[in-house]
Amino acid sequence: MATTTRARPGLSLGRWSSGDAVRAGIITVLLLFVLIPLPGMLSSYWVDVLTSVTVYSIVALGLNLLMGRVGLVSLGQIAVLALGSWVAARIAFAGGLPFPIVLLGAGLGTMVLGTLVGLPALRLSGLYLALITLMLAGAITVALRTTNFPNGGPGFLGHTEDVRGNPAVRRPDIAVNDPAYLRYAIVVGIILFLLALWHVRGRPGRAWAAIRQSEPAALAAGVNITLYKLWAFALASFLTGVAGGLLAAHVGKLYTYQFSTQDSILLLAVVLMGGIYSLWGAIVAGLFMRFLPAVLDNWGLPADLLTILFGVGILQVLLTAPGGLSQQFPRDMKKLAGLIARAVRRPAAPERSE
Amino acid sequence: MIEVSELTVRFGGVTPIDGMSVEFPEGTCGLIGPNGAGKTTFFNVLSGFVRPSAGSIHAYGDDLLGIADYRRARWGLRRTFQTEQAIEELSVYDNVALAHEHSARSRGTRHEDVLGAIEFVGLEADPHTQVGVLGARERRLVEVARAVVGKPRVVLLDEPAAGLPDEETAHLGRVIKRIPEHMGALVILVDHDMSLVSACCSVTAVLDFGKLIASGPTAEVLRDEQVIKAYLGTEE
Amino acid sequence: MPSWQDFQPFIITGLALGGVYALSGVGMVVLYRATGVLNLAFGAVGAMGALIAWEIVNNTTWPDGVGYLVCVLFGGVITLLYGVLFGPPLAARDALVKATATLGLALILLGAMSWIWSDKARSMVLPTTNWSYDLGTVLVNWTQILALLLGIVVTIGTGAFLRYTSLGTAMRALANDREITATLGVPVRRVEAAAWLGSGLISGAAGLLLSNLVGLDAATLTFLVISSLAAALIARLESITVTLIAGIVVGLVTALVTPFLSISQYRDMAPFVLAIVALLFLSRHRVVSVSRGAH
Repeated sequence: MATTTRARPGLSLGRWSSGDAVRAGIITVLLLFVLIPLPGMLSSYWVDVLTSVTVYSIVALGLNLLMGRVGLVSLGQIAVLALGSWVAARIAFAGGLPFPIVLLGAGLGTMVLGTLVGLPALRLSGLYLALITLMLAGAITVALRTTNFPNGGPGFLGHTEDVRGNPAVRRPDIAVNDPAYLRYAIVVGIILFLLALWHVRGRPGRAWAAIRQSEPAALAAGVNITLYKLWAFALASFLTGVAGGLLAAHVGKLYTYQFSTQDSILLLAVVLMGGIYSLWGAIVAGLFMRFLPAVLDNWGLPADLLTILFGVGILQVLLTAPGGLSQQFPRDMKKLAGLIARAVRRPAAPERSE
Repeated sequence: MIEVSELTVRFGGVTPIDGMSVEFPEGTCGLIGPNGAGKTTFFNVLSGFVRPSAGSIHAYGDDLLGIADYRRARWGLRRTFQTEQAIEELSVYDNVALAHEHSARSRGTRHEDVLGAIEFVGLEADPHTQVGVLGARERRLVEVARAVVGKPRVVLLDEPAAGLPDEETAHLGRVIKRIPEHMGALVILVDHDMSLVSACCSVTAVLDFGKLIASGPTAEVLRDEQVIKAYLGTEE
Repeated sequence: MPSWQDFQPFIITGLALGGVYALSGVGMVVLYRATGVLNLAFGAVGAMGALIAWEIVNNTTWPDGVGYLVCVLFGGVITLLYGVLFGPPLAARDALVKATATLGLALILLGAMSWIWSDKARSMVLPTTNWSYDLGTVLVNWTQILALLLGIVVTIGTGAFLRYTSLGTAMRALANDREITATLGVPVRRVEAAAWLGSGLISGAAGLLLSNLVGLDAATLTFLVISSLAAALIARLESITVTLIAGIVVGLVTALVTPFLSISQYRDMAPFVLAIVALLFLSRHRVVSVSRGAH
């Protein structure tokens, strides 16, 4: 992907300017608001939506890192999400492990798989890499259609057609009801976001910046390109895996139709639109992917409109602002805030599934 | 000291380097030749981007070609590129830190090494400035700073003065001259600006069509008839 | 181990599907060579064309033939429109960006299809399906024969077109070196437009055939592009003859897995696996990518 020159503060050096401090202050206030009072204020429909937004923001963060930091396009992140959910479900049904362990296991399991897959794929670059991710995602989707998701059944695959009792993936004891689970998910999201930030501002971030601009220059500086690309893959897979775990406990019951190929492409669209040169873009992407459809649904409009809109979005972003819409972020945020305010005031729509 | 022995590079029917044998002693060495003579290809062999078909390169007694490309920086090889490659997205500090953290130097000395390198090249910009907003001259200096940070053993400079006005070139020349003494590195300078080469380099090698046609003290080499002919072409 | 008898119907379906994969593959390869764009919306275009045809056949009084014609033309027109609008501004970008842009088109079409037609089950039966041959132990219908024939004929025709016509030669020149070709006075935009139109017509035809051979479902048809993609990748996006062979192989392998009951559920994996193998094989020589610079 082409890079642009923008006057952005250089990464790292941990030195905080006054602008940084103000921004951090605002973000902390916003976060505290979203974390503490907001879940109680919303109807269960919107709590469900926001939990979904959190999950998909984390997935978007993974893709944002891959595309924005290393210039790698993956067309199969939703399949990775499905893998994460699968691993989480498998672990959850295997025994009474605490939920953080389930999440960690999902993340690590997906990371290992992602890295194994990434290894041969990393010899490719650009278009071929994107295509191979599409192919791998397709293969995983087909496999999942057959093996299904673990639901308490016997054997390694843990799936049973017998749906009596119908166990769901259990939530952590401290966050069983929906608003509590939303808070839990947000906290996990914050931790993962900080993990990503720590990478971007540190040594991997510098190496990735070099790789994105010029691989010869990176090599000449001593950067082991394969290692750092793999690291990005591993990190993105880890994030997506944990998101898969969160998703599994959120919906309780997992089905393959929840992870469509079309969603992978929609994810690509929203990540591009949210902006790939700033980690905030991932949150915008999550909102696009899960919040906007809920809003439209509330207004009685078909979600297909968004599919079309996102298609146009891809074209617009690639044509005009290769850095994504992150430069227009403040403007869009105001519009979004307005949307949120209006939507919350409307009467809630009836319960709907994922 | 770098010993190049019978180095040959061949691809796609072209032989950019043909049986090149030369010794680069300590200090600053020049490498000149007309366009297409093979100078950048030589640097690319040193960096590990191009595999030679034959020959060897020994630097300070180590077989350079046996070291993996990205490990050569850790060994102590640094370079700048014809089209300057300072990383735009990073700050000045981070650009130089990038090279430092992949070298053999320890993390403890990083801060002072980085600032020292920035000062050494005479870069006055605030180290936190993003390189993308800097001008051509400063970007070049960032690249050079990146090339000299820590304790490199060999520094390759590929046309560092390209596109710079005379005053900047002179400044660059003064910086380059001081590298061997202050950083303890061997410098190989490729450039078309003969005044720069004469000012910095005690010895110079000349390539033409991939072959070495002269080497020795710079002043003599620049007066050599064969060298002059190579640049001007022969009248039939 | 299934018997020869068991294999036969799958050989037929495999060849028919393979023919369409080859057809689509050739369309994609020619477009890629001429414009640098790997059109990932290829399947979506065909799907929408097929749905339009279905609409005309089932909900209007117009003759069926009109529907089929519209399908093919729709493919050509939409693809041409995209190419004319989004080709030039993206022309200087790398192949990944260009291919990603086509995903934008795919989403637009997928959204439109879902909106207009929703997910109701539909089927398209071409008149040729009703004429069948009895080959003794197995039945072959004319749609299947047409699919295979079209694949072969279009490949040969395209090959001849590229070699013997001036437009074809111009396309080959463009594929070889865009800038030099432009300086030679070749009307680049027009040649590209021809490539877009041609590949678009092919996608319409492929969509029509697949809707009959596989089923008329927007998502399925859209993502069947992957099988054609597999064929094109095996051919390294270069040779249309290899694309033809590869397409038929992909079709055959996918179909022939079916009688092996233990793995038949995984047969849809076949194109993916083949594509992955092709891609890895393509990349066996590691290349450090050229410095893109930041300008």
